[in-house]
Amino acid sequence: MASTQLTDEELFSQLKCFGFTPGPVTESTRPVYLKKLKKFREEQQQRGKGRGSSTTTSSSSSSTGASRPVRHDVRRLSSGRRPGLKSSVLGFSSDESDAEAPLKRKGLDHNKRANRNPHLQQQLKIKATAPPNEANKKLYGVGTALKSNSFPSPGGQTSPSLGWETGKRSRHDPESRDEDGSDEELQNSHSVNGRSAARLNTSQLAGEYSDSDEEEVGAPGGPDRDRRSLELRRICTTGPFPSHLDGRGSWVGTKNCAYNPLGNRSMLGGREGPEERVKKSDLDASGGSQSHMVPRKSVYGSLGEDHQSKSGENNHVNSEEGPFRSAGAARFGAGLRPRFPGSGSPAPASRGGYPNHSPVPNHLYGQKKNLAAPEDELLLQFKREGPASSGSFSAHYLSMFLLTAACLFFLLLGLVYIRMRGSGATGVDGVIKSHPFGSHFDSLYDQAEKDAILKLLLSLHDHLAVVAGHHDCGDQQFPNRSLSRNKVTEYLLAQNGEFKDFIDVALEWIIRASQDVGIRLTGRVADDPVTDVSEISWLESTHPRMPLGCRFRRALLTVMSKVALVAVAVGFIWSVVCYVKYRWRREEEETRQMYDLVERIIDVLRTHSEACQENRDLEPYLPIPHVRDSLVEVQDRKKMKKIWDRAVHYISSDESRIRTETQQIKGADFKVWRWIQPPLICDKSKGWQGKAFPLNRRNSPPNSLTPCLKIRNMFDPDMEVGDNWDLAIQEAILEKCSDNDGIVHISVDKSSKEGCVYVKCLSAEHSGKAFKALHGSWFDGKLVTVKYLRLDRYHQRFPQAQGCSTPLRASSLHQNITNTSPFLLQQGPPNASGFS
Amino acid sequence: MSSTSQKHKDFVSEPMGDKPVTALSGIGDTLAKRLEEQGFDKASVVLGQFLLLRKDMELFTDWLKDTAGANSRQAGSCALCLKEWCDAFL
Repeated sequence: MASTQLTDEELFSQLKCFGFTPGPVTESTRPVYLKKLKKFREEQQQRGKGRGSSTTTSSSSSSTGASRPVRHDVRRLSSGRRPGLKSSVLGFSSDESDAEAPLKRKGLDHNKRANRNPHLQQQLKIKATAPPNEANKKLYGVGTALKSNSFPSPGGQTSPSLGWETGKRSRHDPESRDEDGSDEELQNSHSVNGRSAARLNTSQLAGEYSDSDEEEVGAPGGPDRDRRSLELRRICTTGPFPSHLDGRGSWVGTKNCAYNPLGNRSMLGGREGPEERVKKSDLDASGGSQSHMVPRKSVYGSLGEDHQSKSGENNHVNSEEGPFRSAGAARFGAGLRPRFPGSGSPAPASRGGYPNHSPVPNHLYGQKKNLAAPEDELLLQFKREGPASSGSFSAHYLSMFLLTAACLFFLLLGLVYIRMRGSGATGVDGVIKSHPFGSHFDSLYDQAEKDAILKLLLSLHDHLAVVAGHHDCGDQQFPNRSLSRNKVTEYLLAQNGEFKDFIDVALEWIIRASQDVGIRLTGRVADDPVTDVSEISWLESTHPRMPLGCRFRRALLTVMSKVALVAVAVGFIWSVVCYVKYRWRREEEETRQMYDLVERIIDVLRTHSEACQENRDLEPYLPIPHVRDSLVEVQDRKKMKKIWDRAVHYISSDESRIRTETQQIKGADFKVWRWIQPPLICDKSKGWQGKAFPLNRRNSPPNSLTPCLKIRNMFDPDMEVGDNWDLAIQEAILEKCSDNDGIVHISVDKSSKEGCVYVKCLSAEHSGKAFKALHGSWFDGKLVTVKYLRLDRYHQRFPQAQGCSTPLRASSLHQNITNTSPFLLQQGPPNASGFS
Repeated sequence: MSSTSQKHKDFVSEPMGDKPVTALSGIGDTLAKRLEEQGFDKASVVLGQFLLLRKDMELFTDWLKDTAGANSRQAGSCALCLKEWCDAFL
């Protein structure tokens, strides 16, 4: 590129073509922008090449760094990008990738995205080929050669522009078209406004499906891509959707790829698309092959057609997907329905042609995803995160089903229970089949007689049971529970004439029966055991059978009373628990307050004692009430009284540094507190702590060489606190060299790790004296060393020192010393005679 | 200690005023000399360049590398320092 011939304006406009907003091109910024332009151009070329071939080596993608199969790249990139994606979109914390990438990406993204938005599709191609110049940017650069290198990261930025989205589409398309390697498709897709995003989606989905299998399906990038594609889909607006889709569907249908393009029907289904897709991908983690996806897509197609009826085409899909779809539809309905107002009409029409269009709906479905709103991507990302999202739709229906089943079951149970209760006991009605009379009975009579007797007994038993039941229920028709013998006889005769003969026999047998047959016989006098038939005067049933309503009512009453009892008991226990908890919490709170108060008291006393140290006029103790009044607010005093007393008690018993005494203050006796801890010596001040070794000929230069010294190890810059610690250091040095009046300049190098201080003296002699004073001393726990410095180097570093000639004194550091002896003032420039 | 140096903290903590370029994080004596040769003798002038590049850290690091021969770490540190200063005071 003849970039040197570009004028500033040309450079500016060319950079803008790539979607980058440069700052002013000045002489200093020019080279930078030229470099950037070059990078843009390179990437454009690369992308152009990369589309055709499937082996475009990865360019200097920093995150992948090598030419690798797409899948691996994409995987790593997508994983790397995912955090960035998340972080830029939702602020989720990234789990693993490099921290730099998101930063850079974000910084760059802002520029890129903002600029891309207004661009239309016709510029898309260019834009698609204008990726960010760095490798990172390439990741999300539109249309970078996906196959080989960076998997483009759409970034989290959901710019609601078609251009961007189609750009993404173009980005993903190459991947999906791996085998096809069709450039024109891409371009066509560009021309179709946002429709080809469906392919993007499908490819992404395919990628998801195959992701876990590590299959080279041509759509790498797992869930991250899907999410991104979902974002993309959101961005699309409806526009001339159906027509485009139709055209696309037919065109794409010819392609023999797994991502069957969807017709406009799936527009409907596509609504649920993203979510279902997501779920689908979650569900079908194993479905790696593209062929696998086809049936699924057809499912989606079916779903798409029948979007209005929530039941879905269950005949075509398994039950899972039916609820799936409707749940998805339900979820997206509100947001997405307005987008596709016309979607309803094609649906019925498409029904007929469904089998033919099964591939087509899928495509639409994918496209649907594109059209979702950006805010839905949030939802999707959440869903992506949550593993339950995939099954939620079916789970919803399933739960409903289970619920109804449970209800029915309990209802049945209740009815059975009522039945049981109504009968009062296990029914023992099998008199006909088996009788309690023993084998003797069988031997005595023949079959007909036996039957007659048993029938008689049975009817008697039933009748008596009914009577008893009605009586128990309070039915006024039956005032007596038992029937007299006459009545019984009447009844039995009314039943069956044959019974006449057998009545007595039956009654006798009842008496003889060893078990309870359900009839109780009583004699004239109540409760007398009856031994003979003639004595029987009353018959009563022991198994009353009550009418249903009565039974139900009784059962209900019992149940409710029991439930009420249980509820009362539970309520009581719960209230007790609550009360206990409340009390416990109160206790905790009070204790905490007490401790807090104790600490404040201690602080007050300590500060007071410190003040007393300085000011001898104050008494070293404080009266307790005064302390209380100073610590506790006026309105709280009554409330805090109890806590205060506890605090006082605590201090007197557990605090050793405070002594409680009684003192007379102004004539009144007060209980006072005295702080009796001796003050801690603050050893923070810097101090010289002696010499480590004596200075002799061996460890110091024989004569002072220069007037400038470099003192090492005076401080540790990381450890210094406070604002003026450097002044303190200077003071310390001056103090140490207080006998030496020749120090004219001190500079503390605050940023040096070694704790260096530079000192300049009037002459070599003075510096020698200072050297002797400082070298080998301990300062603040550190061993100080001194070196001589060359004067010219010193002046180079501290030009202001050249003019210094007034000696510095401790504690008068910043004052010009004007009262030094004239002898010193008249000293000329530093004597450099000591130089060697 | 956090990952920013003392120099960085010192610079970002107050308006730069008339500080020399050596006050910038990542700029040592050598780099400062080279920058001064190019005319960037004060930190504010370097800030000007940063602003000209629209506070784009990447572009700025590129520029710094080209102009002063800084390595990635130094340039990045300087860019970050300026960016934070801008966030705080601009």
